[in-house]
Amino acid sequence: MEHVSAFDRTVFDRRAAEFRYVIADMMGHAGSGHLGGAFSILEILITLYWREMHIDPKNRLMPTRDRFVLSKGHAGPALYATLAFRGYFDTKDLLTLNKNGTNLPSHCDMLKTPGIDMTAGSLGQGLSAAVGMAIAGKIDKKDYNVFAIIGDGESNEGQIWEAAMLAAHKKLDNLVVFTDYNKFQIDGPTQEICALDPLTDKWKSFGWEVFECDGHSWDSIWETLQKAKAVQGKPAMIIAHTIKGKGHPIYENKCESHNIRIPDAKAHQELLNALHVEGLQWP
Amino acid sequence: MSLHEKEMRQVYAETLVEIISQNPNVMVLEADLSKASGTPPVAKAHPSNFLDVGVAEANMMGVAAGLASCGKIPFAATFTPFATRRACDQVTISIAYAKRNVKVIGTSPGITATSNGGTHMCFQDLAIMRAMPNMIVLSPCDVYELRSMLHWMAATEGPMYMQLLRMKEPKIFDENYKFIPGKAVQIREGNAATIVTTGYTTRWAIEAANALQAQGISVDILHYPMIKPFDTQSLVASAKKTGYVITVENQNILGGLGSAVCETLSEQYPVKVKRMGVHDVFGEVATEDYLLNKHEFSANHIKAAVLENVKNKI
Repeated sequence: MEHVSAFDRTVFDRRAAEFRYVIADMMGHAGSGHLGGAFSILEILITLYWREMHIDPKNRLMPTRDRFVLSKGHAGPALYATLAFRGYFDTKDLLTLNKNGTNLPSHCDMLKTPGIDMTAGSLGQGLSAAVGMAIAGKIDKKDYNVFAIIGDGESNEGQIWEAAMLAAHKKLDNLVVFTDYNKFQIDGPTQEICALDPLTDKWKSFGWEVFECDGHSWDSIWETLQKAKAVQGKPAMIIAHTIKGKGHPIYENKCESHNIRIPDAKAHQELLNALHVEGLQWP
Repeated sequence: MSLHEKEMRQVYAETLVEIISQNPNVMVLEADLSKASGTPPVAKAHPSNFLDVGVAEANMMGVAAGLASCGKIPFAATFTPFATRRACDQVTISIAYAKRNVKVIGTSPGITATSNGGTHMCFQDLAIMRAMPNMIVLSPCDVYELRSMLHWMAATEGPMYMQLLRMKEPKIFDENYKFIPGKAVQIREGNAATIVTTGYTTRWAIEAANALQAQGISVDILHYPMIKPFDTQSLVASAKKTGYVITVENQNILGGLGSAVCETLSEQYPVKVKRMGVHDVFGEVATEDYLLNKHEFSANHIKAAVLENVKNKI
């Protein structure tokens, strides 16, 4: 069974760069995609799936596995690339994103994609499911952890805070949640649409142990994750400061990266050119 | 005390206590209405199988979906409007779309919300839940059916919605009754009309049939404990015999039982259908009697509808 792999900065850097290229290509073939929020969570996903989570792609439903819920389900393509390269399904399937009859829909669907632990897309709902999974782990006295990523825009949803209250009340120290705090939602900066700050204080006041990290730094994510897992008697929130569209020269830190249109082959090629990875064999 | 002397909610709780003893994966979820649902005995007997999430129905449905993903079988109950209207998208996406093994329970359906009034009186739940793919829709009429149905629900994988009358209901079946999924139950046999009911309205159809019997008029009563999937065969067979169908439902006639009947008959065997129930208005604070008469689906109204058809035939 595979568990934690050794951390090699060069390998991880290259993996993140390759994933950005592959995800952009998936969206290029689809003609559109939620690029901004997929690029902002890649370092977190890679850390979870290659360094942290107790999982086995060959035995993907094993009861003792760690669970992961991508509550901001529109970042599905980032998770699909992660799962495919981690061995859950053929990487060739990645180019079927959003195609008729695909197993890789724009938003996560646990009935379609091997390795997805929870369907998500209607915002606010995934965190409740993660809380349910964590409660089940406590009842069954299993030592798996539940990880989740929620969006900053998603945190406007009341259900996030319903789940937050219950998780603290049930003392779910087997639950670690990241907020992908890229500071943008569809209609503009999060501070202008419906301000989240002081976000750390909000989570603290809900009874969570709260950490902040640089969501694109391997070291910062890893060290914070270890601290979060060590918390006893409380769920842990990691507010990951991220950059929407991180790593794409055209879209980085741009609100409009939320859902980009790639109308033709020329736009597709331009999108990819900006992400060139030397020696990448893809597809 | 015989089973039928108990309130429906008491039997709901006692049956779940029994089911949990046999299957520790079954759980009872509440959103601060445990006393109303009658489930404190479950909390007492099986504390680790009981979860009260507080006044947060949306979260309850999502948590239920997460629990189900880890092998639990949650029965998540709240008043009907909150189970089906308020948490509609959570039930749709996290439970039905994701095919989670969650049993959603809507208590005090339709006019039985009485003194809770218009805000709590849901006339749309059957319409909402029927329109949800993957969702099985159930409505038991008495304690014997409720008990048998709960055992079947716990043993059967998949998302389900069940209406739960909370108070005492008259005995319709007995100890030997066994719920058969996908089948209507023929409660009376006759020729003058087919009366189609579910859950709460079955008792009124029986009362009407008894009164008609005294006048020498007999009717078919088809009670549907399962509204979806809908037993079309029994309906068509009865309609062929009687040529006239009356539907009686404890909710808006748009989208519920009457609609299911009309959808079937219009495609397979068109006969005249009279839909009795709430005619597209909201509820209000009132007694059951007042509401039955106001919305014209009491036993007397059902009887009158049958007699009207008999008279027209002569």
